[in-house]
Amino acid sequence: MYFHIFINSLKVLFKNKMLIFWTFIFPIVLGTLFNMAFSNIEKEEMFNIIDIGIVNDDNYKNNQAYNMAFSYLGNVDDDNRIFNISYGSKDKLQDMLEKEDISGYLYLDTTAHIIIKSNGINESVFKYVVEEINTISNGIQELEFRSIEEISKYAISLMNSEVKVNDTTKKNMSYTMIEFYTLIAMTCLYGATLSMYSLNQILPNMSNKGKRVAVSPVSKFKMILASLGASFITQLIGVLLLFIYTIFILNVDYGSNIFLVILLAIVGSFSGLALGVFVSSILKKNENTKLGFIIGITMVYSFFAGMMGITMKYIIDKNMPIINKINPVNMITDGLYALYYYDTLDRYIFNIISLLIFSFILIFISFIFLRRQKYDSI
Amino acid sequence: MANIISVKNLTKEYGSLKAVDDLSFYVKEGEILGLLGPNGSGKTTTINSILSLLKFNKGSIKIFGEEMKPDSYDIKSKIGVIFQEVSVFDELTVYDNIDYFCGLYVSDKNTRIKYVEEAIELVGLTDFKKFYPKQLSGGLLRRLNIACGIAHKPKLIFLDEPTVAVDPQSRNSILDGIKKLRDDGATIVYTTHYMEEVEILCDRVIILDKGKIIAEGTIDELKKLANIEEKVTIEAYNLSEDFLHSVSELKNVLEVKYVDGLLTISFGKGKSNLINIIEYLKEKKVDYNSIFSERPTLNDVFLELTGKDLRD
Repeated sequence: MYFHIFINSLKVLFKNKMLIFWTFIFPIVLGTLFNMAFSNIEKEEMFNIIDIGIVNDDNYKNNQAYNMAFSYLGNVDDDNRIFNISYGSKDKLQDMLEKEDISGYLYLDTTAHIIIKSNGINESVFKYVVEEINTISNGIQELEFRSIEEISKYAISLMNSEVKVNDTTKKNMSYTMIEFYTLIAMTCLYGATLSMYSLNQILPNMSNKGKRVAVSPVSKFKMILASLGASFITQLIGVLLLFIYTIFILNVDYGSNIFLVILLAIVGSFSGLALGVFVSSILKKNENTKLGFIIGITMVYSFFAGMMGITMKYIIDKNMPIINKINPVNMITDGLYALYYYDTLDRYIFNIISLLIFSFILIFISFIFLRRQKYDSI
Repeated sequence: MANIISVKNLTKEYGSLKAVDDLSFYVKEGEILGLLGPNGSGKTTTINSILSLLKFNKGSIKIFGEEMKPDSYDIKSKIGVIFQEVSVFDELTVYDNIDYFCGLYVSDKNTRIKYVEEAIELVGLTDFKKFYPKQLSGGLLRRLNIACGIAHKPKLIFLDEPTVAVDPQSRNSILDGIKKLRDDGATIVYTTHYMEEVEILCDRVIILDKGKIIAEGTIDELKKLANIEEKVTIEAYNLSEDFLHSVSELKNVLEVKYVDGLLTISFGKGKSNLINIIEYLKEKKVDYNSIFSERPTLNDVFLELTGKDLRD
């Protein structure tokens, strides 16, 4: 009997075009759009080698700190070098600056001077690097007035405070990944449409079919279990398809802990199922209104979790952290984020537990409402 | 014959409104009981209370000799219900819909296949097995609705207005199907506001109004409650007021109505009313296109008892 209900519930869900669109097609379409939009942004933000100039007069040649630093930072044999350095006279470099062949140039007298034409990322990096060299250089010059112990301490601190400018955009993980994380989370939550629909079909006060089911010799519990089981499986298939599509077609990298990613998606889908049960049992509206409510609230959840721009997530986290603490999309997104960025699983596990608590609270409230419900119609 | 259903003092209130008011009745094994009444008379509420879909305020309900409760699965397994609203899955074909609902009662797959095929044949949907509900006409959809409710061969069947908005062909098919179910041994409770269907189908009728039973009995027993014995309808045009007045003065005439060229004369007790009126028309040299006589209907009974029409 259970299997009969389960199989037919699956058939009903898979043949419902509206539900299949929201849980299967919409996330894939959205993922494709994200990929098209963000891949261009990422290309634009790839770190390029900065063209600069240095006036190689005696002041520069005699300054060992600058000499060594720029030899390293502009080493043509190093693919990870930051600068492409042109050496020459002040006039020549000024001319190059005017023609925008270089972002700026450096010349030294009693102090270091940076000549730039405009303000941008390249100019900022150039200025930052010169300031760092200046600071270290000054520190070294002071050493001759210090004790051996102080010199040792300073040397150790210098060794430990290695200054690096890393091109983080060359790693697979980027801030746009948060959009794909929220996409996965949103898809998990859209499972609510499936469980809401399934439950509506078997409750006598929700649909005519529910009345027919209610007069059959099948217990309510068995009916609910089989129907929700089918909606959960359908939901997992939807999430799995999205994973396959994003990994193999869009080349999204979810990191090495793919099993933990899948576990989070399963728990996230469970919270989606719980949301659907909650909406179905609490909201005394027709099916389309409930569907609209679920889609609407999931979009709001996703917006707060950073789907339309990570800035929103930062704003919410900073000003109203409680909102994202009870936001299941954020719990899933944050769990995926933590899994990628952190070596420990503490934050990941915290999000898993938060999702489970969120789900069980919704199911508990729904259970109370379902027990109290009676069909009433004149 | 044993009572399949016993309802005693059933009362269901919605706030201050008594939808069902102290209702007591029984349904005997093998009969078709008609619950007749206008919209809002409490027919559906009564059925839903019997089926434990509604919590009622007072009374007791026994089916097959046992008290009916929401978890009376043994009783439920012998019941089939056809609701007023079409209750099928748009996503499943005709066959799959019947199979799904039959499967809630019958676990064995081979038995189920046989039952589903028989139900499809009974309601005349053999050519539409692979159709989806949206591809069916209103009448065919109603037939599917019935098939979903009776495929598991229940001993007790509730049909709640199954022929609402159905074309004549489908209506006849549905009524024939119901008779066959009764002939096969099922007990049927049939609610409707179509008195013609009740007269064709039902062995016994309960007439409801405002949640109360206002009359109960066989069709003949109920018709005796009406004062009129015979109604004669004449199609004749341009009849004068004087003539109409003279007709109302004739022997046994209770009421005369003349609307849109149709003269309806209600007679009380008495014989040869039709012959008498034909002779009177001849005597007065009144031309007429047609004339026919009919026995009083349940609507006349309802009119007599409540002062209003069944379809009001």
